[in-house]
Amino acid sequence: MSAETGSTEPSENAAVSDLLASFLSETDSLCTAAKTAIAAASDGSMLEKARIEFLGARSGRLKAMTQLLSGLTAVDRPAGGKQFNEAKATITALFSAARERIAAAQTKDGLAVVDAIDVTLPGERVRIGHVHPLTQTIRRVQEIMSRLGFESVDGPEVEDQWHNFEALAIGAEHPARDPLDNFYLAVAQGTEPLLLRSQTSTVQIRVMEKRRPPLRIVSLGRVYRPDTADATHYPMFHQVEGLLIEPGTTMAHLKSVLHFFASSFLGGDVRVRFRPSFFPFTEPSVEVDMEWDGRWIEMGGAGMVDPAVLESVGYDPDAVSGFAFGLGVERIAARRYGVADIRDFYRNDVRFLEQF
Amino acid sequence: MIISTNWLADYVQLQVLPASLADRLLMSGLNHESTRAVGADTAIEIEVTSNRPDCLGHIGVAREAAVLFSRPLSTPDPRPLEGKGDAARSITVEIHDQTLCPFYSARVIRGVRVGSSPQWLVDRLRTVGIESINSIVDITNYVMLECGQPLHAFDLQTIQNGCITVRRALAGEVFTAINHKTYSLTDKMCVVADAVGPLALAGVMGGVRSEIGPQTVDILLECAQFAPLAVRAAARGLVLASASSYRFERGPDPAAVDWASRRAAAMILDNAGGMLESGTVTAGTLVCAPASVDLRHDRVANVLGINIQAARQQEILLGLGFESEGSDAVCSRWKAPTWRRDVSREIDLVEEIVRIEGYDRVPEDEPIAARPVELSLHEKTLRLASDALVGAGLCEAMTRSVVNDALETTCSPWGSALPLVVSPALVRGADRLRRTLLPSLLEARMGTLAVGAPHGDLFEIARAYLADDTANKDQGTASSRSGLIQEPLLLSLVTSGNFSTAKGLAEAVLGRLGFDPWEINPASNTGYEFRPLQLDLFSPGRAAEIMLCTAGSTAIRIGVVGEIAQPIRDRFGSQPAVSAAELRLDRLEFAAGIEKKLQSLSDFPAIGRDLNLVVGEAVPWASIAAAIYSAAGKLLEECRLVQVWQDVERLGAGKKSVVVSLRLRSATGTLSGDDAMRTIDAIVAACGQQVGATLRA
Repeated sequence: MSAETGSTEPSENAAVSDLLASFLSETDSLCTAAKTAIAAASDGSMLEKARIEFLGARSGRLKAMTQLLSGLTAVDRPAGGKQFNEAKATITALFSAARERIAAAQTKDGLAVVDAIDVTLPGERVRIGHVHPLTQTIRRVQEIMSRLGFESVDGPEVEDQWHNFEALAIGAEHPARDPLDNFYLAVAQGTEPLLLRSQTSTVQIRVMEKRRPPLRIVSLGRVYRPDTADATHYPMFHQVEGLLIEPGTTMAHLKSVLHFFASSFLGGDVRVRFRPSFFPFTEPSVEVDMEWDGRWIEMGGAGMVDPAVLESVGYDPDAVSGFAFGLGVERIAARRYGVADIRDFYRNDVRFLEQF
Repeated sequence: MIISTNWLADYVQLQVLPASLADRLLMSGLNHESTRAVGADTAIEIEVTSNRPDCLGHIGVAREAAVLFSRPLSTPDPRPLEGKGDAARSITVEIHDQTLCPFYSARVIRGVRVGSSPQWLVDRLRTVGIESINSIVDITNYVMLECGQPLHAFDLQTIQNGCITVRRALAGEVFTAINHKTYSLTDKMCVVADAVGPLALAGVMGGVRSEIGPQTVDILLECAQFAPLAVRAAARGLVLASASSYRFERGPDPAAVDWASRRAAAMILDNAGGMLESGTVTAGTLVCAPASVDLRHDRVANVLGINIQAARQQEILLGLGFESEGSDAVCSRWKAPTWRRDVSREIDLVEEIVRIEGYDRVPEDEPIAARPVELSLHEKTLRLASDALVGAGLCEAMTRSVVNDALETTCSPWGSALPLVVSPALVRGADRLRRTLLPSLLEARMGTLAVGAPHGDLFEIARAYLADDTANKDQGTASSRSGLIQEPLLLSLVTSGNFSTAKGLAEAVLGRLGFDPWEINPASNTGYEFRPLQLDLFSPGRAAEIMLCTAGSTAIRIGVVGEIAQPIRDRFGSQPAVSAAELRLDRLEFAAGIEKKLQSLSDFPAIGRDLNLVVGEAVPWASIAAAIYSAAGKLLEECRLVQVWQDVERLGAGKKSVVVSLRLRSATGTLSGDDAMRTIDAIVAACGQQVGATLRA
């Protein structure tokens, strides 16, 4: 606006006023300068300097242009404002583009680098506990046997003599019943003392007493025999025993199940070998060897359930037959994990437990 | 049992290497222990199972080898020359108790020269690890190792009037054995005695009084059957096991009694001279009635799953000494040899056949039909519980079920009956069946911290053992088989945290097993709540019992939790602060059988409200929570305790502020502010009525 002209009406073809012309050229050169400065900014701090110079909210050069804009006449102001807004949008867009350009230059593999840290510092690791290696071994045996339809069962550890001996065809005169070879309880049930079970076969008797064939079970748990503790013996240990009772069961089924077990447990096609042995509750009875690292390793005992045992639980030995096998958990766990002294399993040293 | 290959060659010509022999014996039931050269001989040590006393002599092993290698077996038939004199006039034999000694026989040889044995005899004994003593003793040992029947030679002159009595030992009776040690006997044992006293501990060891020595001229040669139980009572009770007792415990061949007597007499005459009086003086009866056993033709295949030709079956049984008693369309009949009293049933014959034929023939690829199987509630519970604690950073421990007195004096949360006691002790001093796992875990924790483990946070899942305790019986499930003893399945844990840590771990397990706090929904079937508890194990005021509440029944204790009391910590190696919990998993197993059903989730917006309730400082959180839930209705989704604080100036004396954060949400629509407000008002009113709470602005 020009006070001197006194003109109040804008003329369409009116010549551009000097003031406006000066404003427009000033805006143009500001634009050019901003373009140059922004283009020249090669990192964040140069760009920030440019932003403050041109777009700074308090003393930026665009802010200064608003002073000039307000000094234009009412006639000139729309044209000036338009030019100003275009310049501002241009510079803002240039700035955004430059910011992206610089950020892109600082990324690796497309990811923005924020605050870089020492990635080799220790993480805040959550402590996870460990399942005991014997439990892991038991679960592994259970898991493999369950694929063949064997159900895990549990029974009492304090037993009567019927289940621990008589039903298993271990007669009153059998040396296995010697007081020095068992943990008898001081309390009597009738006249016969109870005892800590010396084998998990007791559970098989209990299951057979309650259920009819077909049966496929694995009984497992703690058993107790008075052995002096040393590297290979402990007076308390764990047994896993399998039992299958079905019509038409043969030793070929027994060997095939153990072959399946050994191959699953040890991996690969593991050969199984039977050697004749003697257990009161199986007949024929065998020792089971499995080939491990080129050597035959004794894994446990097995056999066809003795007809006398089938009769003692009320089964007809001519109608059904079955097999049983037993594995020492400590023995296979020690072998599997390279534990030389089975007492280590009961030391409960956390440094030991955390290795499994 | 050690066998000499030179000796074995007396009965069977094998013409195989010792290693090959050992391997075949191994695969037919005589486990191989070791093989070693002894001079020009080879000693093979084998393990003989308790059912095979026949293989405790060289002839028995030779018989096995002969069958395995299809070679003929030849055994001596000794016929010692009887001279003048009648043994029955020199000695008498009487058995007082035939349950201890079914049969006794004695021969008399006069005028022997007791000297050293010939070299071949000394060599053979040396191969099998027996030192030569003199010609008489060596011969009795030799014959025992030949046929498995023990013998004993007495110096006849030392036997008063030549009168032998086999009787039960008197309790406290004193006996000096040939090892010059004196033993005090019990009435479970059997002695061979004269009028003066015991001459020998029957079947175990001879006495020093009647020992054969250079002075001996006349001998009494004993060959008898002694009962396994009496022999075992003496051998074990006096820790006096011998080669003789080992064999009598397993029961030698009854037919070998006479053979061994003849064999030893003949060898003595040959090697020590002297004259054998005629006849054998005997007492008792020799029971020797081998069983006749029928073998169905299809039985071998039905048991083994393989076919073995009938001719081969016969060949094996005949070779082992079985006698054929005929055959028909269904079965063949066999009479067992006297030395195989372990064979009395058809299944025993099947085992004999496959044992010799070899298990290698049994296939290992027989198909087996699939069957469905599911984990039991017990197994599911074990896994859920241990997974929860492993996730929380605890390690699973395994400690002994039988503990010592010091551990057991810590009382059990599960009953007041005294601990059950076992004999012998599991390890030195440990003869009490534990009633709680906590002391064992505290001990384990002490042990692992002492060696510098990174932490001692442990848990264990195992049974405890409780004598019948009526106070405890009505508390629900018991895994008792006899009614006398319960074996609760316990889960115990120890942690370095405080009460709240142990409680949180217990709640994590309970949550994993599917249990919620009772106050959340008292109308539901079950839930747990914590109640203050006094127990010596825990610091006063820092312990709780966990109760399982079931709608319509009495709450039962399913756990305890607390900070371990200082005196208990002192007992376990002055441990730093430790808290513990123990849960009765046997009372929680049922929950593993409850099918999980989806609770539908609401996507409508929730409204949160915090309430600052001021209550008396003695009001427990459980009462406040119960008041909130009682009034909340279906809209309350979560009630969370934010903060508890006390400030006399701002709240007044005896007051505390309890800040709770509530989240309300409707399942059916967007909750209006008014609806939310009504619920909040009801909650505030209930808290006012039930626990005297006022709302702090």
